[in-house]
Amino acid sequence: MTAPLTPSDIEIATRAADHFTRIYYTAYDSDTRLADLPHFYRPNSSLTWNGKPFQGAEGLTQLVSKMPATKHEVQSFDCHPIPGAQPPSLLITVSGSVTHGRGPAGNPPDTHQRNPEGHPRVFSQTFILVPDPTAPPTKPGEVAKYYVGADALRFVG
Amino acid sequence: MRDATDNPGGRKGKIRSGRTTRILDLTKDRPSGSRMQPIRLSTSAHAGPSDPLAIRGAARPTAVGRIRRNAVSGASVQPSAIPVRVAKPKQAVDSWREFVQKRYNAEAKYLNLDSMIEDELVKKYNLTPPGHGGTSRDAAVIFKLASQLKPEIQSLSLANNNLTGTLLVQLGRYLPNIVNLSLQNNKIRDKKEISMIVPRKDKMIHLRELVLTGNPIRELAYKNGAGATYRADMVRRFTSLEVLDQEPITQISFDAPQPSASHVPVEKPTATTFPFEVGPSFVTGVDGAIVSKFLTRFFNAFDSQRDLLMGAYDTAATFSFSANTSIPARARVVGFHSSPAMPNQRKLDWKTWLETGSRNLNRIGGDPQKTLGNLHIGGEQIVKVLANLPPTRHDISGPPEKFCLDSFPVPHGQSMGLLLTIHGEFTEVSSGGIRSFDRTFMLVPATEGSRAKLNGWDVAILSDQWIIRSYSSHEAWKAGPLLVQATGQQSQPAPGAAQPFSIANFPADQQAALASLPEAQRNLVIEVCARTGLNAKFAVDCLTGNAWDLERAIANFNQVKGSLARDAFL
Repeated sequence: MTAPLTPSDIEIATRAADHFTRIYYTAYDSDTRLADLPHFYRPNSSLTWNGKPFQGAEGLTQLVSKMPATKHEVQSFDCHPIPGAQPPSLLITVSGSVTHGRGPAGNPPDTHQRNPEGHPRVFSQTFILVPDPTAPPTKPGEVAKYYVGADALRFVG
Repeated sequence: MRDATDNPGGRKGKIRSGRTTRILDLTKDRPSGSRMQPIRLSTSAHAGPSDPLAIRGAARPTAVGRIRRNAVSGASVQPSAIPVRVAKPKQAVDSWREFVQKRYNAEAKYLNLDSMIEDELVKKYNLTPPGHGGTSRDAAVIFKLASQLKPEIQSLSLANNNLTGTLLVQLGRYLPNIVNLSLQNNKIRDKKEISMIVPRKDKMIHLRELVLTGNPIRELAYKNGAGATYRADMVRRFTSLEVLDQEPITQISFDAPQPSASHVPVEKPTATTFPFEVGPSFVTGVDGAIVSKFLTRFFNAFDSQRDLLMGAYDTAATFSFSANTSIPARARVVGFHSSPAMPNQRKLDWKTWLETGSRNLNRIGGDPQKTLGNLHIGGEQIVKVLANLPPTRHDISGPPEKFCLDSFPVPHGQSMGLLLTIHGEFTEVSSGGIRSFDRTFMLVPATEGSRAKLNGWDVAILSDQWIIRSYSSHEAWKAGPLLVQATGQQSQPAPGAAQPFSIANFPADQQAALASLPEAQRNLVIEVCARTGLNAKFAVDCLTGNAWDLERAIANFNQVKGSLARDAFL
């Protein structure tokens, strides 16, 4: 029997997801992506990018170091504390659009108007955020420090 | 010709560094721990006005000297970034700059703008601080000057200035990276004024500490016994906040990149190609048969009799759905929404989904009732909610390319769980329109004697999140290389029919539209395209207008072909 979640669990999780999605995609889209993004991961993080697996912060670095510049727009996100562990891990799903490179403006001038290449893609990204047992709370009020335990991304449109 | 404003010149650095040293000397004498990092905006540290005596004595001679030198200097290497449109005399800008620099503690990255009206420089230059006759433009000048301070400002106190939200509208624009902010003892009355200061949640995403003590918004709330509501509102409003009015907030934190650390030199993203190709569905660390058995049973029950799913959910399981109502750019470019091949798309309506409890936190995150109420817990409650959602048809055993899975084990507490994401499409039965979806399950093995096991499920659902969005083609996850921009070769529609002509001759978007047609109609469309060179959309139009009679359609085409636009053709 799994212990049920409390409203407080849900409020804390909701706010954490709100904050996380903002700082995560800000970091992803910044010029300093390579310095910023690995902070969110640990060596045991599991990632997939469009079906390609990567492992840990190092794998993330390998993935994004040659990735074109991005501009993400989060259109929808949701978050549940996953029942069964305390403090709970968080399941976050994000749906949005991402422009790579220069977007439609970077297409050759004779590009057919019905050619979708260069236009923003729809992405779907799932994160599991887990508490880091090796990083004890350092600030008053801090439940725990969380990192990306799992990250699965797909382009879906 | 340069005027005084344009002329801090090469001397700026020298003057600034001299000034900084002096302020640091002064700071040492002040009774605060303000040199600690990060600075805490506590009442004891600097609730009251700064020490005008000490500062006045030190700053005045330099200030006067600097202005005199500026007046005669023609050298300029660094034009001011103050826009000309700021309708203040240049001299006022210069005076404000001097004031801001005097008040800056560079070592602590702390700008103390407490009680501006009492400052000797303000009196001497006859400045009108915002809150005492000054406007939001004066405030903007001050914030812009603050944004030019080096090193970048982390902490700002605007305590005791009679400020309202209106006066602070430019704060977030000029100082988006501020970490600690005190607005203590001002005139901020309500949430609307807070929204003026930080209009969108994506501003000030690094703010850790905020002080609103001594403002009506807080004091009235506490007086009326609504302190908890005030706090909850502010906590939701500022998602990064760790301390509000000197009380810590219970929160989850991250090893987020710090604004100050983001000046580390790293390679900027400049790639013009994707480093990896799209891979097929990725399932590892679990028997694929378990996954497909689960999905088949789940979606068949979901489409036919949702209450059968009660057994699949853990007793503490969580479920919610969210509607992403945005129009996908690529689907719009290729015209799915108005495609005659998908005639029911126009009948789709988001209303049902939005009214039955979409938990898109981007939209409802500010509403605590909905945030809680739209998250459903436990199998019993979940199947009740599922029963009220629109009837669906997932063609889970149909063409496999229409779905895409990623699944791998993830730690869950002391044991392991299985993360399973599925992307695909479903038909809304009432309209016949097609939507795309993403669904994420957190699964655990069904334990002996559990309800899931007794109901014949190998795995139980701990969490289920469902995103419903406008239709996009499954071409998006087709395995193979990805383009960043259109290329020369692909920038023109494919030239006419090579033989044998098949669905493979169509561009991706048209293939998707064709695939959604019944086979008999699809073959007619392909035949028309092969014989006329029309694209799928116009071939469907032509056939529809001729009651799906092939020869009539061809004859009709031959009558009108001279008047058809080029984009009617493949």
